[in-house]
Amino acid sequence: MELKDIKAIIDLMRKNGLSEFEMERSDFKIKLKRPLATSTTATPDEPAVLPYAMPAVAAAPAAVIPLPTAAAAAPATPAVDIKSPMIGTFYRAPSPESEDYVDVGTEVNPDTVVCLIEAMKVMNEIKAETKGVITQILVENAKPVEFGQPLFRLRPA
Amino acid sequence: MFEKILVANRGEIAVRIIRACKELNIRTVAVYSEIDVNSMHVQMADEAICIGKAPSSESYLRIDRIISAAEIADVDAIHPGYGFLSENAHFADVCESCNIRFIGPNSRAMNALSDKAASRTLARKAGVATPPGSDGVIDNEQEALATAKRVGYPVMIKAVAGGGGRGMRVAHNDISLVKGYHTSRSEAEKAFGNSGVYIEKCIESAHHIEFQIFGDSRGNIIHLGERDCSIQRRNQKLVEETPSPLIDGKFKDLRKKMGKAAVRLAEVANYTNAGTVEFLVDDRGNFYFLEVNKRIQVEHPITEEVTGLDLIKLQIAVAMGEPLKLSQGDIHMRGHAIECRINAEDPFDDFRPCPGRIEMYYAPGGKGTRLDSHAYGGYTIPPTYDSMIGKLIAVGKDRREAMDRMSRALGEYMITGIKTSIAFEQAILQDPNFRRGVYNTNFIEGLLGGPRRELME
Repeated sequence: MELKDIKAIIDLMRKNGLSEFEMERSDFKIKLKRPLATSTTATPDEPAVLPYAMPAVAAAPAAVIPLPTAAAAAPATPAVDIKSPMIGTFYRAPSPESEDYVDVGTEVNPDTVVCLIEAMKVMNEIKAETKGVITQILVENAKPVEFGQPLFRLRPA
Repeated sequence: MFEKILVANRGEIAVRIIRACKELNIRTVAVYSEIDVNSMHVQMADEAICIGKAPSSESYLRIDRIISAAEIADVDAIHPGYGFLSENAHFADVCESCNIRFIGPNSRAMNALSDKAASRTLARKAGVATPPGSDGVIDNEQEALATAKRVGYPVMIKAVAGGGGRGMRVAHNDISLVKGYHTSRSEAEKAFGNSGVYIEKCIESAHHIEFQIFGDSRGNIIHLGERDCSIQRRNQKLVEETPSPLIDGKFKDLRKKMGKAAVRLAEVANYTNAGTVEFLVDDRGNFYFLEVNKRIQVEHPITEEVTGLDLIKLQIAVAMGEPLKLSQGDIHMRGHAIECRINAEDPFDDFRPCPGRIEMYYAPGGKGTRLDSHAYGGYTIPPTYDSMIGKLIAVGKDRREAMDRMSRALGEYMITGIKTSIAFEQAILQDPNFRRGVYNTNFIEGLLGGPRRELME
């Protein structure tokens, strides 16, 4: 399925007042959901528009702003993020000379150490806490991270 | 000169501190819990770092996370605001050991005034009168009963580690004393991690009058006048004003006497930076030391308005090691200032907290008004923290003008979507006794119980 096909489906849904569409084939599955006509354009969770520009965060977050009427295309199984449980500096390897703990494509188990976060001169090993395959590294080596910041994206097994 | 300050707090005080830093050209770092991501202090700061989930115990009280944030943001100093870690001597120590300046009193002074019982002892050492009571923590029932017998009922059972008006109860007789003693101890353990309680005679018809003090690192300590905070509901301040109508009306010489006592106590404690010495004054003009608040206080704006000083900037300057360029003779109070704390509470439903989304928001303005608030239209007040959403301050050339201005401003203040205390505070401002300046700490109880209830409804 290509993007132009998805756009055509969304258009058809809107024109015909459909709120849900689901299609499954052998190689993929797609589910589209539109909010109902009565809902307001601003969802309760949408941040209010403020006169100040968003501050530069310590490290760029991988936050996604929710769009009011567009549908979210769901991939075969939803991706899962490994989020930082603490504040500190993110390191991909046990030491500058060592190999990175994990890379894109690495299979991890809940106990696999995926990175180090250093805080107050103490190195903390961060475990995956979930089983799957790493699909994206979201933070650069030696960059600061905050609580809850996504570090790795993986496809759960 | 500090280049970067981390604000270890939230809400209106974080906004206040960031504003002072901006004026001083100091970069600011906000820390926030996940639920505070849209909070005003996060938007205003130059940088913002998420430090945990909503509960304070998992975010604003986490020393390790705040220090980690301070390190990765490479700050020079931390301003702790009020509440949270502002009076935590251990936190102050950790900051210093990490080479981060703590904007507040030095740890020695913090330890000397570490709890209310220790402060009482220090006050007596400084020759400042305290309410008759125990010599420290009460160890058992027998001691409690003996102390109460000596000073006479009613008495107050107070948690030594309490603060913000919490951790106290009255006992009128032996039975309620024993019951209250045990209940207070277990409540204190849960709320403050310290079960120690002490006993003081309950000063009836009391007026709560506190003095703002400031000390620099050279030992120069001055006071910036008093604040009358007798308008309280369940020991929580609601309306504060300066000068005190009691002092101006009946006991003019108290200002100098109490001011001197406050400074003397601060000197004995080797106090530095901002602090407040709280007293109770009875109807005959006798004053008794209560405790020292070792932080900047909620109601500091009214002192700023009548003295012309910026207390947060002064805190930062003193923390940078600058001497206080003011002597006692330089401090003058001009005009009158009143503050109303605006809370997200329903005064018609026993002041039940009302977190939720603010729909429409119109803030009062005009000559002689000041609003210190983090609220805005569309902001959702989280349920996890206290209900104060801002402070409205009115200033006038005299008390009459300040009151009229406050009434005018309260009448303009529009907040929909949540319930607030605005209508209740308007009722206080209109109350004849308040207008005459004749009130004590029983005022609100009287207002709620009496026939004046129709005024609100």
